[in-house]
Amino acid sequence: MLSLGSGGGKAAKPSFVSYVTPEEIRPEKETAKEEKHPDLLPGEMVFCSANTVLKLTHDEMSQHGVFGTLLCTNFRVSFTSAEEPGDVMAPLFKNKLYGENDIPLSCVDSIYGVYEDKRKLITGSFVKNKYPSKIIIHCKDLRVFQFALTFCKEEDAKRIFQGIIHHCLEPKPLKNVFAFSFCENTAFPGVQMQQRTMMFEQVEDWAADLSRTKGNCQLFTANENFDLSQHLPQFFIVPPNVSEADMMAFQGKGIPLWCWSHQSGCALFKTASLPLLPEENDQNAFMDKMHIAVADNYLCSVKIEDLSDTLPPIQDIQLSYNKFKQLFLIENTNDFWVSDMKWMSSLDTCGWLDTIKQCLQKAVQVVECLEKENTNVVIMEEGGSDLCCVISSLVQLMLDPFYRTLPGFQSLVQKEWVAGGHNFLERCNQLHMKDKENVSPVFLLFLECVWQLFQQHAPAFQFSETYLTVLSDSLHVPVFCTFLFNSPYHRASNFTADSPHVHRGPVSWPTVWDWSVQFDCKAQDLLINPLYVEKPKQPGRPSHRSKHQRQLSLPNSVFKTPPKKGFFKEEADSLKKILRVKRISRWMLSPDSPQPSSSIREFYEMWQSKPLDYHGLLLPCLEGPAVRVWMQRYLRWIQEVQIFGGGLVTVLSKMSDLLDQIQGLKRQLDCHDCTLALTHQRNWAQIIPAESDRSSVRLSSSFPFTNMRHNWSYKPAFPTGFLQTFMYSGDMADKEDDAPETVV
Amino acid sequence: MLTGSKTTFKVRQMLPDIKERMLSQSGVNARSRDVFGLRCLPGECVLQRAVLVRKKLTAREGRGWLSGTLFCTHFRVAFVPQDSPKPDDNADPVLLGDHDVALASIEKVVAVGPSRTKLVTPNSSLKFTPEELVLYCRDLRVVCFLFDRLTPDTQVLEITYTIAKTYQPLKPGSVLSFQNAALGSVEMKQFLSNRRRGTDMNWFESSADWEHELERCGATGWRVSSVNDRFEMATSLPRFIMVPQKVLDTELKKSFAHFNEGRIPRLCWRHPRGSDLLRMASFQNNIYHEKDDIRNLELILFGAQSSLCVVVELGEELPSPADIQVAHSRLRALCLGDISTSVSVPDDKWLSTLESTRWLDYIRSCLRKASEVSCLLRGGHLTVALQEPEDRDLSCLVSSLVQIMCDPHCRTQQGFQSLMQKEWVMAGHRFYNRFNYHRDNDKEEAPVFLLFLDCVWQLWSQYPYRFQLTDDFLLALHDSVQLPLFSSFLANCQRERCKRTQHSSQSYTPVNGWRDLLPPGSASDPSDPPLPSVWDWGLQYSKQRLARFTQPVAPTPPLQTLLNGNLNTNPDTHKLADTIPGSVFLLSRGTFSCPANLLPWRSGGAGGGSSGVYKKSHRRAPSSENVPGLERLLKAWALAEFPQSLAANSGPQGPLDPYEPLLPLLMGPCMGLWRECYLRGALHAQAFSHPISANHPHPVERLAWEVQQLKDKLALAPTSSDANSPAKRAESRRVVDTNLNQNTNNGTFLFPASRPQGRDLGVTREVPAPPPCVLHASRAPPTASAPPARTGSKHNGGNKHTFLFGHSSATEARPDQRYYPAPNNAKLPKSNGSSVAS
Repeated sequence: MLSLGSGGGKAAKPSFVSYVTPEEIRPEKETAKEEKHPDLLPGEMVFCSANTVLKLTHDEMSQHGVFGTLLCTNFRVSFTSAEEPGDVMAPLFKNKLYGENDIPLSCVDSIYGVYEDKRKLITGSFVKNKYPSKIIIHCKDLRVFQFALTFCKEEDAKRIFQGIIHHCLEPKPLKNVFAFSFCENTAFPGVQMQQRTMMFEQVEDWAADLSRTKGNCQLFTANENFDLSQHLPQFFIVPPNVSEADMMAFQGKGIPLWCWSHQSGCALFKTASLPLLPEENDQNAFMDKMHIAVADNYLCSVKIEDLSDTLPPIQDIQLSYNKFKQLFLIENTNDFWVSDMKWMSSLDTCGWLDTIKQCLQKAVQVVECLEKENTNVVIMEEGGSDLCCVISSLVQLMLDPFYRTLPGFQSLVQKEWVAGGHNFLERCNQLHMKDKENVSPVFLLFLECVWQLFQQHAPAFQFSETYLTVLSDSLHVPVFCTFLFNSPYHRASNFTADSPHVHRGPVSWPTVWDWSVQFDCKAQDLLINPLYVEKPKQPGRPSHRSKHQRQLSLPNSVFKTPPKKGFFKEEADSLKKILRVKRISRWMLSPDSPQPSSSIREFYEMWQSKPLDYHGLLLPCLEGPAVRVWMQRYLRWIQEVQIFGGGLVTVLSKMSDLLDQIQGLKRQLDCHDCTLALTHQRNWAQIIPAESDRSSVRLSSSFPFTNMRHNWSYKPAFPTGFLQTFMYSGDMADKEDDAPETVV
Repeated sequence: MLTGSKTTFKVRQMLPDIKERMLSQSGVNARSRDVFGLRCLPGECVLQRAVLVRKKLTAREGRGWLSGTLFCTHFRVAFVPQDSPKPDDNADPVLLGDHDVALASIEKVVAVGPSRTKLVTPNSSLKFTPEELVLYCRDLRVVCFLFDRLTPDTQVLEITYTIAKTYQPLKPGSVLSFQNAALGSVEMKQFLSNRRRGTDMNWFESSADWEHELERCGATGWRVSSVNDRFEMATSLPRFIMVPQKVLDTELKKSFAHFNEGRIPRLCWRHPRGSDLLRMASFQNNIYHEKDDIRNLELILFGAQSSLCVVVELGEELPSPADIQVAHSRLRALCLGDISTSVSVPDDKWLSTLESTRWLDYIRSCLRKASEVSCLLRGGHLTVALQEPEDRDLSCLVSSLVQIMCDPHCRTQQGFQSLMQKEWVMAGHRFYNRFNYHRDNDKEEAPVFLLFLDCVWQLWSQYPYRFQLTDDFLLALHDSVQLPLFSSFLANCQRERCKRTQHSSQSYTPVNGWRDLLPPGSASDPSDPPLPSVWDWGLQYSKQRLARFTQPVAPTPPLQTLLNGNLNTNPDTHKLADTIPGSVFLLSRGTFSCPANLLPWRSGGAGGGSSGVYKKSHRRAPSSENVPGLERLLKAWALAEFPQSLAANSGPQGPLDPYEPLLPLLMGPCMGLWRECYLRGALHAQAFSHPISANHPHPVERLAWEVQQLKDKLALAPTSSDANSPAKRAESRRVVDTNLNQNTNNGTFLFPASRPQGRDLGVTREVPAPPPCVLHASRAPPTASAPPARTGSKHNGGNKHTFLFGHSSATEARPDQRYYPAPNNAKLPKSNGSSVAS
């Protein structure tokens, strides 16, 4: 994430074909020689730099670049220029770690070199002596930079090019990631991040979550030092009947790990599936045992969902995302016009939206099982930490309003993704490994799904669209420990290896949730959704679930109190057995039956028949064109599609206007009553109307990511004045031979 | 069966069998009205009813199901919810209740049985008892009724048959019988003839209306000519046209022959910067013998500008009506889906299919053309003439889009209605043929107007707060088109409309002999009922719906009345003498050119060498090759051509120029699909989207309501010593009252004194806090069913709204400054407890 404030109006995305050769524009500014270094972060060091690099910008019509210095540090590729005009206004939304012309190293997606008008994708193996006249850098946050090296000294150019290639594309050890040197040199005062975010690094967090959802599973602490298995989290929760011996059996694979309990008692589990071979009776028996253990959790029923059967493999997800993002990595305007002709069909063909839809659909199916059937659900896939994380987090987001608050959402990511062992390091390819097999934007896929939910039910979420966008960018800022490791074990082992010679505990690592590392207070307010409908206060009821959700759970009343003791016991046991046999078999046999679609429809109808409760169950609409493109994330750098003075921003600023008014009126009323009981204050209202009211017409739809000041003047005007001057001055004929001439 | 009107029971215009049935069962009817509560129109008869029916609600209605009773009258399919409030017998009749469907807008009736679905036609018989009845409407609604198990089978079958029989698909003459069914009764006729027109919009009927428009746009140099008063010069033109002052009527008369259908260049609108927007048909007669002829033609074409004219050819780049028709029917097929054919597009192909309908493409090209023209006009001091061969389809569309983009007045409800009246109804868009109400002329059918509405919606969705009208209004207009009841749409030009009203008694003789059943000697003429205008919204919609036609919060920047062209910046317009014809350019495909035969009289032979030696030349604007759209060009010139006057105050801090055209973005990602219109019916889409209940109005609406409440409270608060003293308040009431009076007299003065600097009337200078009593009458507390803060008085809803808007902005402007120092920069404490949460 970067804000465009500081740079003074050069669009971050150079997207224009040069009609003017750089020779023509090369100004007499040779004087601006002195190197201007960016403010380096603690622990950041410059590897190489080159002067008089031309950053090509798309600025009005005349293509002119900005001369400056290109640096490559251990954190970023940075471009600084003395030419850029100073900023008049303080930027609203500035990232403290990197500026608009900085690219964190792990944010680099691909680099192209232009050799004599031929564009070539640069892989690690480059020719030592050749350097391109122009470098094009595609970033993972979809910015595109173009740097011309034609005016550099030859050795400078060579060095910077090779430096950038080396540091951005070559594999490197984990220890070289900037976060390590950053944290060695920075004192993070006490990690004062959102206290309410549960990190799930302590056993208390797990216990709290279990009790919050009233689950009746058992919490395991035996793996605290990863003695049991390195694949399992430090702490985890399993069904009551799973023993420690079971965990040893297959290195922790196949163990159903508790994710969340529905208030009816049924729960969602995820598991890493065993490679099931038909002849391997051990494994089959083990799996059966595990399933029965899950079924015993509630009502003796379980549904097992193998995600690898129904969802695309992560490699396909990567492929479709690669196709999709090409639509937005625009180097010049022409590209965009060309793609624009077939915009919708190209959206369809890349299949990314369809992937999103499938994930949401799967999550809805699981929600249905939990909510309507009150069945325990086990989702499984090979690693148990990719699509399982997506689906389980989505399910919880739909069912549990707590996770739709800001701290709740952060806790959810901590629980399912960080503690749940998603392979962030491999999936994001932070180390630039050549082997791209394991790279896949799974977490981004999750954020996309959340965004889809968000855009359909905005008032239900406490965080804003901007929050999601920023979070998706932070994935590629190598400062936070959150996204740096493959599993809790990986993380712990790096910490322990680290701590002897650093003398500082792992505590000092910033997590991404510590938003003050990236943004100041004012900007952080933009991460809050002003439309959020707060939960009405219900005194004496700490439960997070609302009434109608309870009503939805139909079978509750029937099986509410399964007879457990006394003379009913035997009967109950036999009943259990019957149920177990029946229900398990049923669920295991019919994952692909045609039933689901119609039953899902019924489920939707049931949900629709109740008034929408933003603190209850939320279901996404998935039909037809309901799944949309996340405009803010993908289109924010493309000026052509920014609506000036329109779009959602106007709604938000209108609301802030109204909130202002309400404040004012309330104050007036208070004055009347002479009771100046001024209650707590929320800053959001002051963010957008910082330029006074009525300013909404000047914000662009990609607010807060682009600077409106510059865009405003881009408002198209038709060249009539141009025509007229010709007409009036009457010298058109002099200028052009075939110009029309007015004769009396 | 029952008849429900407060008037007497009438059996009129019934098919014999239905009539018999009604009579035979009439014994039941005595008390049934109380039970089922359908309020019939005068003369309306209920043909069939079914109890215990559930209706599927759309997103706007809150989703879910509503149970009640289903009726089929000979005008509509009516649904009365179980616990709906008892109808008020004294209220004016509303043609269609909130849950009703007019028979004429039904396109298809599909019965869904336990295992099968069947399209029900008047002649078909069902072999099963339907569980569900699906009505596909022409306006893209799909209405779905579900019968309960307890609904008697006979009722289910009968009502299905009755609906299928009476909706009368594609039968010539059905429109007329429908009109008669709806409006033909004596009471209804009386009611309609007593109905007064809204005075707050411009109807463009009298010459005074046209004069008023001239004045409003400050079009000096133009006059209203009544040369076509008897439609002798051009049958399709309105009686009055706006022409240059310099041309006398006698001179004007000679020009008509030179244009297709006599549609000579007429003024549509003047931009505040002094540019004129004209429209005309293609040149017709290529013989120009007389110098005078040519002089007149040029004078008309150049209008008041005399220096530069740009002809915008609309035929080339815009879709033809036939294209539009094809695209629309494809879009329809995509959006509606169809139970009976069960053809549906797989989701992963949805967008591609949408693209291949080309509907969005056409919208895009129309908006692009309108943006080009708007930008041209904005440059100032030139004439832009829209030229289309017939000047009756796309020039209506483009000229009104341009005005919506440039003129804030046209973005208010009243202004928009006036605009429609001017550019479509009066200008002779062939509504009647284009909508093909009689289903007798399929070749001519083309929903140009619907394309236009979608264009407006695109603009609206990109800049919602620059409009005073809402998408609800657009949707209502969209739906009314399918109801063949309105004089606005039932004729091709003003002449036809006039004819109808003048000679209505002779214009139609019944074909099918139904009239024989009429009781002889009925007092009024049995001919066609007087048709209302579509702008008489009170006929169609309840007040709750009407209140949603306008934004709850005043648009930004505040809309003002047009400043009479005083934005003219450079006074040196008349550099060239009046008699000198200027130059003409053709704008086509985003470039200017000057083809030799642009003005036929100037080109070579026929034109004669003496009138103007015009070099045959062809000049292309630079860098226009390979520009897929003009946008790039526009951007390129933006800075260079930024007018000085604007540049001065157009920094981010400066006030926004209200006449800065709203330019829509046209790139693929920015074009939206009007879901509320096209997808509201689609069953598959309905099945999965969330219910928006009435308890959750848009947050903006709720906040606006809260502001209003606080203001009310403040006004009521026991005041101590400051400005709200009783005397002052009394005065304020008086002032506001005067204000109101002015509004009624002067339809265009919509937003009095919205900003301090916007005041141009002395009376409104003191607009203080509002009178509390009025506010309380008009702002009811929110209830579960009705949206808050939206009511209107009975007769002049428009005025009431005017008042509300004027009031809110006035208080915004004044007391804010009075009570606390700086509302915007001071960090105001805020208790948000009740604002968003609740």
